[in-house]
Amino acid sequence: MKKAIEIDDLSYTYPDGTKALDGVFLNISEGKSVALIGPNGAGKSTLMLHLNGVLRGEDSAVKILGDEISNRNLRKIREKVGIVFQDPDDQLFMPTVFDDVAFGPINLGLESDEVKKRVEMALKKVGLSGYEDRSPHRLSFGEKKRASFATVLSMDPEILVLDEPTSNLDPRNRSRLIRTISDLRYEGKTIITATHDLNAVPSIADMVYILNRTIIAGGTTREIFENVDLLRGMNLDVPEVVRLFEVLKCFGYDYENLPLSMEEAISHLTGTIESAGGHIHLHIHEHTHRELDETREKHNHHFKDGN
Amino acid sequence: MEPVEIDEYYHLKSPIHSWDPRAKIVSIMVLIFSIVLIYDLILAILGLMVAITLLFTSRIPLKFVIWHLRWVFLFILPFLVIMPLSITRGGISLTYEGFEYALLVSIKALTSVILIFPMIGTMRFDSTTKALERLKIPNKIVQMITFTYRYIFVFMKEFSDISRSIDSRGFKRRTDMYTIRTLGKVVGMLFVKSVERSERVYIAMQSRGYTGTLKSFDEFEMVKMDWAKAFMIVGAALGLHLITITGVI
Repeated sequence: MKKAIEIDDLSYTYPDGTKALDGVFLNISEGKSVALIGPNGAGKSTLMLHLNGVLRGEDSAVKILGDEISNRNLRKIREKVGIVFQDPDDQLFMPTVFDDVAFGPINLGLESDEVKKRVEMALKKVGLSGYEDRSPHRLSFGEKKRASFATVLSMDPEILVLDEPTSNLDPRNRSRLIRTISDLRYEGKTIITATHDLNAVPSIADMVYILNRTIIAGGTTREIFENVDLLRGMNLDVPEVVRLFEVLKCFGYDYENLPLSMEEAISHLTGTIESAGGHIHLHIHEHTHRELDETREKHNHHFKDGN
Repeated sequence: MEPVEIDEYYHLKSPIHSWDPRAKIVSIMVLIFSIVLIYDLILAILGLMVAITLLFTSRIPLKFVIWHLRWVFLFILPFLVIMPLSITRGGISLTYEGFEYALLVSIKALTSVILIFPMIGTMRFDSTTKALERLKIPNKIVQMITFTYRYIFVFMKEFSDISRSIDSRGFKRRTDMYTIRTLGKVVGMLFVKSVERSERVYIAMQSRGYTGTLKSFDEFEMVKMDWAKAFMIVGAALGLHLITITGVI
């Protein structure tokens, strides 16, 4: 499979001397959706800014769809890599939603009919059709966040880079945005999402990488979420569904493949119940309480050690 | 704090609202300049009448206009008080000429500000900036106006956030050094924040292909009626001066 993003030994130090990235190696194949997780200040945003050449380390360190980033192809790279930033007020700078979503396509030099078509398509994808004439500063935060997503979708980039797409959203806007991302994932876009929203990760990503100035670990979503100790060491955690099934295991519920998301949990439970003649069997033995304590212990580390 | 916006009444229907933005800006600007250049009290009052007529035609509520004019009044008031005073041998005395001159200055200032409302209060602010762009105002200036307007609300929000934050931690505004120092720090932080934001906005713009000019679409089209309105207003502007030249007054 062709490589969408190749990062080969990328380091970056901010002008004030803070080392943000230190020898990052990362390969992402085309059409894959990758979640980038890591503690606060791990360099996630810094890494993302390298993907379209806003920040530049050594030029040969980052390759996008096989091309090294240089001044010559900067424009082309930015057509291919669309970044949605965390604060929508940074992303929405034009007087109307239409102008904002049209900004990218106009800069691509598209014809006005095509621009209008792109704007319409992008707003529809984020559920903001009819918002064309609204002023960004009059939108709610959730609407702003969705509008800022649309400003990048209208450019139809091959690679989407999302910085904390679900942060500060209410549950409804959050699940709506997760759905939009997962739709794009099935359309075959290459997506890289930096997030702290671990519950959302199974729905939006095939692969997970843990970043803390350098790539600490990487693997399929399942591989990473099964490694609780590793996550714990990085101020991270597993999705709630995983925790619930670990509790169920103490009560004797047996599983091979740990369900990571609500959907997986539903199909897992359905499968188990159907194969066991219409019900599941849970029990309490002597060891159940001990196991429950252990499980609780495992996940309560954040509160125990004062972090 | 809900910001009051100049284009709050853009949705009303009036002959001024339906006027082509470009023609509107140019014509009313001509009228403003013509009024500023008047040196006769009666003509200035005539100009004020024209401005008030335009304001009423635009259907923008008077209350809204007066609310915005309060700062202008504050600025004009000292003229009315100080200018009639003159120093004579006997001390300070009031002169009629001084009063007339003060009145002239005040009326001209008031008229000019009143005309701003039919000019930019009758269309959405983005139409104003687009019209300026089409009128070949340098793109850099148009960008400055656009971004000022866009971010003034963010700036106000950030200020009120900080202000609430210090209030909720027991800060009271007094007339002492501590208050001044604290507010100074707050304003300083606000500047730092805005510089940081401007960097992030610039990155977001670059990421979407910004190379220095702001491009946008518009569907402006001048029809006969737009020209007619323009002739009327520019005619009035010139008329005010023709009266002086022909010596009617």
